[in-house]
Amino acid sequence: MNQELIKAEQLCRYYSRGNYTIKALDAVDLTIARGEMVGVVGSSGSGKSTLLNLVAGLDTPSAGEVIVGGAHLSKLSRKELARYRAEQVGMVFQSFNLIRHYSALRNIESALYFTDVPREERLDRARELLDKMGLANRGDHRPADLSGGEQQRVAIARALVKRPTVLLADEPSGNLDQTNAQQIATLLKELNLAGQTIVLVTHDLTLAENLCSRIIRLDYGRVVEVLQ
Amino acid sequence: MTARDLVEGAFGNIWRMKLRSALTIAGVLIAIAAFTAMLSFGAGGQQYINDQFEEFDLFSIMRVLPGSPDDDEPEVDVAKLDDKAIEQLSRIPGVRNVYPLDAFKVTVYYADTSATVEAQGIPLAAARTKTLSRLTAGTTFESDTASQIIISEDFLRDIGYTGGDSILGQQLIVETQVARLDSGVVKILQVPGDSLRRRLNELEVDSLFAGDYARRLLFREMSDAVARFIDGLLNSRATMRDTLTVCGISPSRRSSPINTRPVLITSHTAQRLNEGKVATDPEDLFYALSTGSLTGGGWDFESRVYPRVSMDVDPHVPYGAITDSVEALGFRVFSFAREFEQVQKMFLFFDLGLAGVGLIALITASLGIANTLIMSILERRREIGVLKALGADDSDIRIMFLVEAACIGVVGSVLGIVTGWLITRLVSFIGRLIMRANEMPEIELFALPLWLIGLGLAFGIIVSLAAGYYPAMRAARLDPVTALRDE
Repeated sequence: MNQELIKAEQLCRYYSRGNYTIKALDAVDLTIARGEMVGVVGSSGSGKSTLLNLVAGLDTPSAGEVIVGGAHLSKLSRKELARYRAEQVGMVFQSFNLIRHYSALRNIESALYFTDVPREERLDRARELLDKMGLANRGDHRPADLSGGEQQRVAIARALVKRPTVLLADEPSGNLDQTNAQQIATLLKELNLAGQTIVLVTHDLTLAENLCSRIIRLDYGRVVEVLQ
Repeated sequence: MTARDLVEGAFGNIWRMKLRSALTIAGVLIAIAAFTAMLSFGAGGQQYINDQFEEFDLFSIMRVLPGSPDDDEPEVDVAKLDDKAIEQLSRIPGVRNVYPLDAFKVTVYYADTSATVEAQGIPLAAARTKTLSRLTAGTTFESDTASQIIISEDFLRDIGYTGGDSILGQQLIVETQVARLDSGVVKILQVPGDSLRRRLNELEVDSLFAGDYARRLLFREMSDAVARFIDGLLNSRATMRDTLTVCGISPSRRSSPINTRPVLITSHTAQRLNEGKVATDPEDLFYALSTGSLTGGGWDFESRVYPRVSMDVDPHVPYGAITDSVEALGFRVFSFAREFEQVQKMFLFFDLGLAGVGLIALITASLGIANTLIMSILERRREIGVLKALGADDSDIRIMFLVEAACIGVVGSVLGIVTGWLITRLVSFIGRLIMRANEMPEIELFALPLWLIGLGLAFGIIVSLAAGYYPAMRAARLDPVTALRDE
C-alpha cells in the first residue's frame, strides 16, 4: 500500500534580493506515499508554502527535483504543468481564494474549466460536492454571503471536484474560529480515511499531530525533524 | 474552457463593471457610429450613381465623336463620321445599334403658340432602349416611319401647356428652314443689270495690264461673290413642314442624366425635314465647312457627316474592346462605363479618406479598451492566480481577456452601427426636407449595404482585439505565486 506518490530530491528554491540570496527551501528530501496525510509544520518563513507551491507546480525549483506519480515536474512544459495542476492537484488556501464574483456553485465548477469534463457533468459534480459539504442551499450565494467556515468548505469542494491525486492544504483552518477549524479538520481526516493523499501545511503542531501520520518540520528552508 | 464559458465569463465581467464598461463601450460606439455614418455617405453616393447607371442603362451607351484621341491636331485629316462610318461601327462585335445624334432647330406650333427648340431624330431601336423609352406618359414611336413626336416636360412648360397627358394624340406642326446650296449659287449669279453696268463703267481697261489693279479688281469681285453666296445660303431658305402626332412625353432634363432634346422624332421624319441640307443654325454651317461636308461632296445625300453618333452596346462585352475598335477607325469614344470606372476609383479614395477619419476615432477608443482591461487585470490579479492554480495555462488567461476585449468590440460595434444608421436616417430626413424646399429631386444620401455592416463589425472587433492584446499578454504572464499573495 505504501506506494510512493510524491518525491522531492535535494529541492531548493532561492530568491535573489539585490546582493542577497534568500534560501526559501534548501536541499529538501521528501517522500509521500499514496493515501498518506503528511503535515508540514514550521514557523513563518520556514518554507512551508514554498514547498507546497513547488509540489503544486506553481513554482519552479532553483535546484533539485519534484516527482509526482513518476512525472518529473521540472521536465514539464508550462502547458503540461497547467494540465498537471488541472487534473491532479487540489489546493486549499488559508484565505480561501474563492473568486468573489462567482457563486459558490460556480466556484466549485471553475476547478473543472481547464479539464475535459463536459459542462453538464461539471455542474453535476459541483452540486454533489456542495451537498456533501452541507451547502446544498447556498449554491447561488456569493462568497461574501457565506461564513468563513462555509467559504472554506466551498474551497475544499473546489479542490476535490476534480478528484485530485493530491490535496495540498495551506493553513486551511488558519482564518477560522475553533468550531469551524474543528469541522474542517474532521473533513480532512474523513477524506484521508477515504484514501485521499493530503499534504497539510500548518503552524499548528497539535492539529498536525491529530490528523497526520507523519510530520515534517521545516526551519529556514531545511527539514529539521520528521515525526512519525 | 468552452467558448460558452469564455463568452459568459466575459459578459459577466463587463456587466460587473457597469460604469467603466459602459464608458469603454461608448468610446467604441461613437467611433463605429462615425465610421459607419461616414462610409454610409460614400456608399450612398456610389449607390445613387450605380442606380442611375442601371436605371438609364448607361453601361450600354457610347458616344462616338470625330477625331482620333491620338491626333495632336484633330482638325487635320479627321475621319468623317458619316453613314459609311456608321455602317462600320455597327459591324463591331458587341455593338447592337448605331444612330447619329444630329440635332437641329425646329419650330413647333401648337394651337396659337409656338416654340423654337432642338429636335433629335432617332431610330425605333434606339427609342426602345431603357434610356429613351423612359417616358412619363404615352408610348414610344409605333414604327420607324411613324409621323409621331415625343415631347419633353420642359417643352410643355415652354409652350405654357398645363393639360398634362391630354396632349397625347394631338397634332403638332413641326417646321424647319434649311439653307440650300443652290440658293447660295443663285445669289452669286443674281447681279442686277444696273450694278453690272456700273461695274463695267468703272472698269479701267487700260489699267488692266498695269500694276496690281487687275489683282485688286479680282479680289474685290471674289469677296463680293463669297458674301453673296453666304447671304443666299443663310437668307434664301426653304421651309420644310410636317404634322406629327404626340405619342409620348419624356421626363424633364432635370430628372434625367442624359441630355435628351426637347423634341424627339423618328430618323425618317428627321431626314424628311433636314435631309442633306444645312440647317439655319450658323454653327451647323461652320461645322459643315470645317468637316468638309459643304465643299467636299457634303451635299451628296448619301454621305452626310454627323457631329456625334450614339452606340447601344452589349454591356456584357468589355467596353475596352469596343472602344479600341472604334478608335482604330479614327474616332474618339465617350463611354459611360469608362466614366463609371473613374467614378468608382474616385469613390474608393473618398471612402478611404472617410474610413481613415473613422479609424482615428476607433484608435482613440482602443486606448479606452486597453485602459479598461489593464485596470481589470490589476483588480483581478488574485483571480488570475487562482485560475492558474486551478489549472489555467497562459493561453487560457490570454484568451479570456481577448474574448472580453472582443465582446466590448462586438457590443460597441453593434450599437455603433445602429447609432450610425440612426444618424444617417436623421441627416437623410433633414436632407430630404431641404431638397423638397428647393424643389430638387429627392435622392437618398446614405446607404448601409451588408458589406458596410460587416466592415464596421470587423473593424470594431479587430481594433478591440488589438487593444486587448497587450493587457491579455500581461495577464497571461502573471506569476501565480505572486498573484496569490496579493491582498
